[in-house]
Amino acid sequence: MNAPAGNPAAVLDCAHLVRRFGDRTAVDDVSLRIAPGETYGLLGPNGAGKTTTIRMACGLLRPDTGTVRVAGLAVTTAAGPAKKLIGFVPQDVALYPDLSVRENLRFFGRLYRLSRRALERRVDEVLDLIELRDRAGDRVDALSGGMRRRLNIGAGLVHSPTLLVLDEPTVGVDPQSRHAILESVTRFGEEGMAVLYTTHYMEEAERLCDRIGIIDRGRLVAEGSPRELVALVAERDRVRLSAVGDLASYADACRGMARVEGTARTGDHGEVVELVVKDARSLLPDLLDLAHDQQVDIRSVEIDEPDLEAVFLHLTGTALRE
Amino acid sequence: MTALAVTRATLTRVLRDRTALFFMVLLPVAIIVVIGVTVSGFDQFRIGLVPVGRTGPVAQELASELRSAPGLRTRTYDSAADARTALRRAELDAVVVVPAGLDAEVRAGRTVAVRVLVEPTGSAGHGAVSSVSAVVAGHAARLQAAAFAGEQTGGTFDGNLALARGAEQASAPLVVQAQTVNGESDYLPLGYSYSTPTMLVLFVFINALAGGAAIVATRRTGVYARALAAPVPARALVFGETVAYLLLAVLQSLLIVAIGALAFDVTWGDPLAAGVLITVWALVGTGAGVLAGALFRTPEQVHAVGPALGIGLGMLGGCMWPLALVPDWLRTAGHAVPQAWAVDAWTTLLSRDGDLSAILGDLTVLAGFAVALVTLASLALRHRLVTSPGS
Repeated sequence: MNAPAGNPAAVLDCAHLVRRFGDRTAVDDVSLRIAPGETYGLLGPNGAGKTTTIRMACGLLRPDTGTVRVAGLAVTTAAGPAKKLIGFVPQDVALYPDLSVRENLRFFGRLYRLSRRALERRVDEVLDLIELRDRAGDRVDALSGGMRRRLNIGAGLVHSPTLLVLDEPTVGVDPQSRHAILESVTRFGEEGMAVLYTTHYMEEAERLCDRIGIIDRGRLVAEGSPRELVALVAERDRVRLSAVGDLASYADACRGMARVEGTARTGDHGEVVELVVKDARSLLPDLLDLAHDQQVDIRSVEIDEPDLEAVFLHLTGTALRE
Repeated sequence: MTALAVTRATLTRVLRDRTALFFMVLLPVAIIVVIGVTVSGFDQFRIGLVPVGRTGPVAQELASELRSAPGLRTRTYDSAADARTALRRAELDAVVVVPAGLDAEVRAGRTVAVRVLVEPTGSAGHGAVSSVSAVVAGHAARLQAAAFAGEQTGGTFDGNLALARGAEQASAPLVVQAQTVNGESDYLPLGYSYSTPTMLVLFVFINALAGGAAIVATRRTGVYARALAAPVPARALVFGETVAYLLLAVLQSLLIVAIGALAFDVTWGDPLAAGVLITVWALVGTGAGVLAGALFRTPEQVHAVGPALGIGLGMLGGCMWPLALVPDWLRTAGHAVPQAWAVDAWTTLLSRDGDLSAILGDLTVLAGFAVALVTLASLALRHRLVTSPGS
């Protein structure tokens, strides 16, 4: 697909990236842009080309064709200055297991040529950020899996990057640590950092990302906000209202509303009104107001919306976790 | 310098690793002691000394000269029977019986026979007799000089003997230096002078090879891949690791040198030549270690192959036994590995008082090995990091 027209001051601008390994095309004409403060999710199943894309974005892999620019700097020709702006958090914990938490952070800080004073200050800040200050002197191999994951992210933050690239940071993580990681990523975006986040967990992408690119077999097949993507495949939601009162009149009244495309009475005793509507969430207050006006007592509401799983199924013909 | 960050991290990790320190310091020292004790005494005959009856100054001087002879290790026995028993048990190579009345016989100008007993089946007996004979002959020469002076000029025997002793010390002596030689006329170093430098050669190489496992482990943790996402070229990572393992090899060498000098009285020869040899050998080991770190897929592979390879090359190169003792074809084959050249160079420094020029040929060959290994290792590791940094 063509590069989307976006913010010309994009932090990351990948244009028409192609990368082949032998006969296999791992990434095929992928373009994406990330604005400052934006969290962009690259969503796709294992082997879709997510990791290859971010390896090219980080300058770890040279694209066969296409360009990568970080804050306007080409990663291939101005590798040094461009890479200084990137914080890379690999999928697996990439740390020295026999060095302490603090020593690992210092090591990665030194790679970015931080001065001694700046390094010590940033290490302390990151220790606070990842909540490992009290374990700073412990060896990494003595930490729990969740702590290592947090440190893994912390090591990508020591040099205060403009763009943080996280490659499936929650794979194999316990729920508590996963929650902490997702909270952190949300905070990074709120603080103005651009984030490129790859995952094959749909709910993570929905929760974290301002925009999502769906990648399959090396191609970016769709891109947009989570709602925009859902709207691509299904504009209608199904609303089930369980209620008490004159439901026949209520259903008739609902049928007259602009975005209601169908009504039905279901349930063993006709106690459920089912509606097919456009954008159920925005319509719901009007439905509740109408019920109140007609003295109908709503006991429960169920909304069935199409999700990214359905979007992926629609776009690729395969389930997301295959 | 970002490379120094890598060097620093590697040094910190290795020097904190107790297992690594065991292989770096304790094991070499233990092997030095074992091999040193085993091969010490190959150049010394074990002599039982039996002074019979009350001895005078002439007999005491002979016993003293036998005790201080560099090729002899003496033990004094109260009776000839005890000494014979020790000889039969192969605890001695020969027994010297200092005859009763030696002083009186000599002063009377009569010939005296000093009996040397050997075990007919012992292989060292005849060599021991030769060494004892040399000491006795030297002593006899002074006695003869004293007797001759007495005949020609008069004076007391003791006075003339003192004159003869003084004349011997005042004149530049013509000495015969006995050395054990092999077919190629190389001197054969023995004792700690053999075991300490050869264990330096052996263990610096093995330890450097084992260091390759740490490089493989770091590769597999993904630290290199992550580092390459920073503004760090692959060559800086390679350089940083190479410097770290070179420093470790030099440090280990210096520890063995210090322990050898302080604990085993090893004299390491010309300091400049020894320093250059240590550095060049450390480079050879570093090249081998970094190459292992680039080529092997798992640390376990390095642990399984590295020490076995190091010991095999060490055996071939004369670290376990002097190449002087092996057949010509094996000695030639041994020089296909760098260990042989390093051992040759140390032998020249320690046993022949060689200097830098004396080991220049060995150093040139070793430098060739070092350049080849370090270059190959750097290219291989850089290729690995660039093409598949996380594996």
